[in-house]
Amino acid sequence: MANALIDFVLVSVALLAIGIYGIAVKRNAIRMLFGIEMVINSANLNLVAFSRYIPNSQGQTFALFSIAIAAAEVAVGLALVIVAYRMYRNIDIADFRSLKG
Amino acid sequence: MIDFTSTPIMLTVILGAVGVLIPVINVARKEKGSSVYGAITLGALLAAIGFVIYQIITKHITQSAIFSSNVLVDDKFGSFFAIAMLIVGIMTTVGSFNYMRKRANPAVYYSLILLASVGMILIAYSTDLVMLFIAWELMSIPTYVLAGYLKKDPSSNEAAIKYFLFGALSSGIIIYGISIAYGLTGSTNIEQVIVGFSKLGPDMMPLAILAVGMFIAGFGFKIGLVPFHMWLPDAYEGAPPTIAALLAAGTKKAGFAAALRVIIMGAIALNLHWAFALAVIAIVTMTVGNLAAIKQRNLTRMLAYSSIGQAGYILIGLSVAPISPIGIQASLFHILNHSVMKASTFIAVAGIVTTLGVTHIEKIKGLGKRMPITALGLTISLLALAGVPPLNGFWSKLMLFGSAIDAGHTLWWAPYLAVAGVLNSALSLAYYGWIIRKMYFEEGESNKRLKEPKSVIAVMIFSIIFIVGIGIYPDPVIQFAKSAVPIMSGLPVIH
Repeated sequence: MANALIDFVLVSVALLAIGIYGIAVKRNAIRMLFGIEMVINSANLNLVAFSRYIPNSQGQTFALFSIAIAAAEVAVGLALVIVAYRMYRNIDIADFRSLKG
Repeated sequence: MIDFTSTPIMLTVILGAVGVLIPVINVARKEKGSSVYGAITLGALLAAIGFVIYQIITKHITQSAIFSSNVLVDDKFGSFFAIAMLIVGIMTTVGSFNYMRKRANPAVYYSLILLASVGMILIAYSTDLVMLFIAWELMSIPTYVLAGYLKKDPSSNEAAIKYFLFGALSSGIIIYGISIAYGLTGSTNIEQVIVGFSKLGPDMMPLAILAVGMFIAGFGFKIGLVPFHMWLPDAYEGAPPTIAALLAAGTKKAGFAAALRVIIMGAIALNLHWAFALAVIAIVTMTVGNLAAIKQRNLTRMLAYSSIGQAGYILIGLSVAPISPIGIQASLFHILNHSVMKASTFIAVAGIVTTLGVTHIEKIKGLGKRMPITALGLTISLLALAGVPPLNGFWSKLMLFGSAIDAGHTLWWAPYLAVAGVLNSALSLAYYGWIIRKMYFEEGESNKRLKEPKSVIAVMIFSIIFIVGIGIYPDPVIQFAKSAVPIMSGLPVIH
């Protein structure tokens, strides 16, 4: 094996950190969706890497499930963003402020 | 393999098939009208709850086989949550009849309610992390759509986007936690994960703690625990009030089901001092929820903060669970009670919105004369939420605080949980009482009696019977909750 497990885990942790940074700092709804995708894909990378090194196939099965679910989730998210764009002509979530209290 | 006629499989078949069929019927049917879809949905939910009760009565269902080598297990713990979720589903569906009458796409609306119910039920039955995650998403994705159901309403869309962003982040965190747990133990079965955790060496322990922490954070987003609660009032206020009922009473309780399956067991196997951490979260959650609720002027927002406070009470039972045997039993009992009470308050608000179109607290003056049955149902539910005897909320709160005092022999801080709970109950009575005062003791614009929506009346009558009935004779439900408590002695490590 050319690559050690720790390499994959480091990449995965870096992806997780970038994703959470994106969700916390960015105010553009599409960029926040990117952040969510990065968090989910970092977990997928982890699952596949662990599955290769343990070795059993459960992790890869789970990664397939999670890719499909993430696709469904992001489809719903994009639909919501499109509805918001039609209403506000803008997708900056700092501008959505009809709810406060 | 799990038997085809077991409860979770049959519930998935009944609810899922009907949920998928309703949009097909909508395409095939020429004439418009929402009542057909509502009736079909109600029929499916009633058939499902009937099946669960039939299974419990006739078959010997394992008390709480919290572990299983399958992905699903047919036990009383799952059945308890299934009954609670189905009651919430029925109340939401019936309460939506009038609300949905003039709105677009009723078929999709009811279909999504059914699919979300399948997800909530499967969470409670799953014993494998993969199954748990898929059920979690099956619950979440329909509710994102439902929260943004009023397409032309900016606040509904804003609620849906906030709910979606936090919900999707929480599922990302859960799946990362699952990936760590899988990497450490080589399995996704909850039993094997916990056995694996208990055998870990000290150098791997921080990673296991990180995994459990990620589960707490992920599930805590849906439950509305305090550091993760920012989205909750916005989402409940902007969403249609019937959907707020589903979110507050359904998805929140499903989060507790997942937490009971995963966090509690995992934390015991890791021998963490988690009980104290959970107790701190419980006190902070109930105090922040109740204090914020007092300031609110919008009825749905006030109820949303009150549901944060109630999550804190439920957490009391979880945090004393390893010491006091009645901890989880009390939590389960309060989960069932709170489902009905909270769903009934939000459906009452939905009735007020349909008839008067207002949610501001100053606008509901004199409601006791204008909409007497809705006002009575709302009053009884609010008093039960505050824990006034002899309503059901009193008994479950008594058990929760009793379990905290009971645990005081071993844990010095446990009685303070009960003290905080009692103080918070008194605090919450202030704003519940304020709503009641506005409805009954202040003169409104007119005293003319309005026509109340029939479906809301039906829900109110059901919840009054449920709340008062269990309040007077709580014993059978307490026994049922006791039989649903997971058996802790089956765990690999007990300290």
